[in-house]
Amino acid sequence: MKKSSSAGTGLTHPEKITSYFSAQRPILLVITITGLVYNIGLLAGPYYEGQMAQCLLDISRGEAAFQDMLHLVLTYLLVIFLVQGSRFCKRFYVRRFANNTARSMKEILYGNLVHHSKQELDAQGAGNLITKAVSDADDCAEGMRKFTTELFDTGVALISYTFFLLSYDWRLALLCLLFPPVSYILADRMKVPVQRTGQAAKESSGRLSSATLDRVFGALTYRVFGCEQARNQDYEDHLADYEQKGIRANLFVLAMPPIYQVISLVSVIFILWFGGRNVMGTGWTTWDVAAFTAFLSSYTKLAVKSSHAAKLFNAVQKAQVSWRRIKPFLTKVPEEPAIPAKDPGTLRVRDFGITFPGQAPLVSGLSFTAAPGEAIGVTGPVACGKSALGQAFLGEIPYAGTISWNGQDLSGLAPEVRNGIVGYLGHDPELFDGTIEDNVLLGKKEDVWPYLKAVCLDKEVQAMEEGIQTRIGPSGNRLSGGQQKRLALARTLALHRPLYVLDDPFSALDRNTEQQIFANLRAQCKGSTLLYLSHRMELFPQMDQVLLFQGGRVIVSTHAALLSDSPEYAQLVALSRGKGEDHEA
Amino acid sequence: MKREHQNRAVNYGLRSIGATMRHHLLLTLGVALAIAGAVITGLLPPLILEKAVNLLSAGEMFPFSLALAYFGLLFVAGLLESCKQALLTVFGQKITRELRHELCQKLTLLPAGVLSMQDAGAVSSRFVSDVDTVENLFDDGVVSMIADLVQVVSIFVILFSRNRGLSLLLLVVLPLVFWYTRHVQKRTLRAQVDNRRALANVTGLIPETIRNIRTIHNSGSASWMRTRYGRYVGDSYRAIEQTNFFDAIYSPIILLTNAVVVGIVMLLSASGNPEIQSFFGMQVGTAVAVISYISQIFTPLENIGMEIQTIQSALAGLTRINEFLGQEETWKKVPGTGRAALSATDVPAVAVQDVTFGYNSEETVLRNFSLTVRPGETVTLTGRTGAGKSTLFRLLLGLYRPDAGQIRIFGQEAAGIPDNEKRALFGYVEQNFRMVPGTVLDQITLFDDGITREMAEEAAKTAELDAVIRQLPKGYDTPCREGLFSQGQWQLLSIARAIAASPRILLLDEITANLDAATEETVLKAIKNAAGGRTVLSISHRLSASLGGRQIALAPEAGESS
Repeated sequence: MKKSSSAGTGLTHPEKITSYFSAQRPILLVITITGLVYNIGLLAGPYYEGQMAQCLLDISRGEAAFQDMLHLVLTYLLVIFLVQGSRFCKRFYVRRFANNTARSMKEILYGNLVHHSKQELDAQGAGNLITKAVSDADDCAEGMRKFTTELFDTGVALISYTFFLLSYDWRLALLCLLFPPVSYILADRMKVPVQRTGQAAKESSGRLSSATLDRVFGALTYRVFGCEQARNQDYEDHLADYEQKGIRANLFVLAMPPIYQVISLVSVIFILWFGGRNVMGTGWTTWDVAAFTAFLSSYTKLAVKSSHAAKLFNAVQKAQVSWRRIKPFLTKVPEEPAIPAKDPGTLRVRDFGITFPGQAPLVSGLSFTAAPGEAIGVTGPVACGKSALGQAFLGEIPYAGTISWNGQDLSGLAPEVRNGIVGYLGHDPELFDGTIEDNVLLGKKEDVWPYLKAVCLDKEVQAMEEGIQTRIGPSGNRLSGGQQKRLALARTLALHRPLYVLDDPFSALDRNTEQQIFANLRAQCKGSTLLYLSHRMELFPQMDQVLLFQGGRVIVSTHAALLSDSPEYAQLVALSRGKGEDHEA
Repeated sequence: MKREHQNRAVNYGLRSIGATMRHHLLLTLGVALAIAGAVITGLLPPLILEKAVNLLSAGEMFPFSLALAYFGLLFVAGLLESCKQALLTVFGQKITRELRHELCQKLTLLPAGVLSMQDAGAVSSRFVSDVDTVENLFDDGVVSMIADLVQVVSIFVILFSRNRGLSLLLLVVLPLVFWYTRHVQKRTLRAQVDNRRALANVTGLIPETIRNIRTIHNSGSASWMRTRYGRYVGDSYRAIEQTNFFDAIYSPIILLTNAVVVGIVMLLSASGNPEIQSFFGMQVGTAVAVISYISQIFTPLENIGMEIQTIQSALAGLTRINEFLGQEETWKKVPGTGRAALSATDVPAVAVQDVTFGYNSEETVLRNFSLTVRPGETVTLTGRTGAGKSTLFRLLLGLYRPDAGQIRIFGQEAAGIPDNEKRALFGYVEQNFRMVPGTVLDQITLFDDGITREMAEEAAKTAELDAVIRQLPKGYDTPCREGLFSQGQWQLLSIARAIAASPRILLLDEITANLDAATEETVLKAIKNAAGGRTVLSISHRLSASLGGRQIALAPEAGESS
């Protein structure tokens, strides 16, 4: 298991489809051998069945004995056993091949996804594309499997059947083989409408699904606004559209294959007629009954097989489409550099500014210095740029001026070095669907309790039946909003960074807990510098410095000074107090 | 209990299928004929082959017409099979449409209480996947099973007439084959369920990664995430490996069994023993036909196994649909009462009299509550969570009926007002804005034909949002999506939606939670614009004071009732 996993991501050229084949040479060798044995051995069935019928005839004429039949039957069973045994191996290994391929592709895709930056994922919709690509990986592997299968089942089998038929009566064989191509060409022609109607049905089904979701999730809203009847009518329209498109698509997919097969089977008229004459001795060549039945049943199998060829072709084509979609994301997975630990230091921000293209500057001319261990409060009205300041520390947005740590410019540092300095917690707790322990330690081996204690979550976790092994659900939805926030804060503390940027970390907490956690935080990360961004002002009296964002300018001062000098600041404090009272305990 | 559900399920399913059949009689007849025809014609060719080979082995050439007849049957069988598939497709689509129609109608008839209690995701899956399984129940299940059973029995009868010994042998072999088939199918199903579970983790991790990418990078846990992903993909890999094994082994074993049966029959019919001969003896042509039939009998058997599985899973879906359709429906509304209320004069806008209400019998939320609001008055409801502020709104909106007492809106009973007459009476500003699929304009009109573009724009102006909307790339026709507006602007949009139909009463549900001061000011201004001249009921927030008017405190009922 370990081996195949590393084989997947260790491909030297994951962007080449042949890499996936060459990475699995031993499996492909097994498939080749068993595939050849099976497909050539396929002829054994009709051949021996013909021989047995002939033997029965000979016995009835007194020209053969029971021993001959016994011998024939035993050989027949042995051969069928070998053939079917090979078939099992071929089927199993070709599926394993596809399974391995899908797994490698997914791991590579994921490996790349996880290295995309937030901006890339947000802006270019790369996230969506990769999500689609992962589901394409299955289609792609399935197509590669069918291609491999087709190589044998259609290629080898059709060739060996053709030779088999030719060897019995080449003229009759040629005559018969005129028809399968006709059926094949027809099937190929139908591919266009198949795809077109299939696509239309898929789109209609998508629209119907969203209409369903909207109708159900919005049921109460529509009721309150009296719009239910209108929405029902809209839903009925979607239903009618889906019915029409669905019927059209399925007609091509389900109703046509029997027709293709019938076309290939026109040849049986010739087989019966000319074959019968062969047996009578008046045809192109001389046959016995065994040859007659073997020829007929081989041809029938060939016709059925070739009618499947169209289906396989479709799968291969689908795989090509999938492959084209995922190929751009199948690049070598970058190495993950370890994050180096950093000591406390001095934060120096000089002439900092953010201007989004085509807009007035959001912030400009901000300069301040924070000594190791200082706590700096950052506040201002919503959309004043304080969150943007936080994100600048992550290198997520371009800014003017410099942010430097112990004299090193942050923007010049490698991402892992910068991440070794800055510990960031944003509005969204960004929790993972795993246990509480996982969410705090993110795979590190450590004691999780000190962190839970620091964020006042220890008692609640102790009360949970499974303690730190409690699974918190997608986005932590089994926890309350306040618990989610605190868990995320515990995770941030466990990073042990010399500089913390915390964007509104206490928004869902009551005041006492807020104070308590802040005290713990200061005690646990004594040397760490703290940037606290919030419009909740309760903690601001404890801040060493306060940055007040206001209409593009920033005032760097202290709580006490601002309270007396800035009416805006005083108002923010008053508002925040009001808000606090509004919170229902 | 379970039994009863199953019975009811069958009733609803049959009703929909029955209704579809009645509406499309010709189609139904066509389906039946095509199935019967396809099965019968499919069975005949080997009989002709038998005759041909028998004639040949007797040293006689058969007539050309026999060769033609052989192909003719194949041709007709193919054609009928094609018809069968086509007609079944049409029929299946009609059934699903009928069922979805029923479900949608039912949604309109369910009381608000039931709607809000239900998990909307689960209800959606009634509409989508459960309906699909019922269609499967019909065509891939029952219909195909009948066709396959007929085929198995017919082949068996033909074989019995040709070689009694063989049919006896098959009586032993077929049950074994069927058991093997079911075994493989059950194990496969189990592995598939495992795989689906694993895949849910695999696919779930990707949106999680995208959402949490900032944390992943900042904490340097990319490799931890890759390990997690690898683990989930590995789970799926192993489950698929299981399925693959069964997938790979099934058919080879069947074909081997087929060969063994053929071998035994040939051996026995070749034995000189007259007693055995009386059971197994046959002519060469018959032998050829028999070999062909033996290989034909295994396919329908395999299908029957699948069909059993389909029926089993479809029944579960049908039961769920039935439970949904069987739910109690809402009370009768009185058409015209809404309009009557609109034209009423000299009555209170809202008259709540001695109302007692609880969502269930254990807990009373409101007890003997009374409130009268005159037209044009502004009233703010205060009280802690659970005191019944939102509940009172729901009662006013007629979503629930009081257990005791009366609620009148402009003189008419609130619960009796039909839904489609409500929008002119109430403008309800929801706590959370619900975006609907469509343009910005659609958000305001909610697809209501009665609301013109001008009305919507007017509403947006009142809600202080018109300028913002006009700055969007396509103005009011910009497709709406998350992130198009800020949190405060969504609330303004919610206000525009509420007042678009110029309702007489405005209900404000605690809308200014979580806003900063500047945005709050805009929202407040919009509310004041919107309130102009209307009767306003508002649930307390700290800005209520700026709205003025009367304050009504609701006391929590919990202590009193227990």
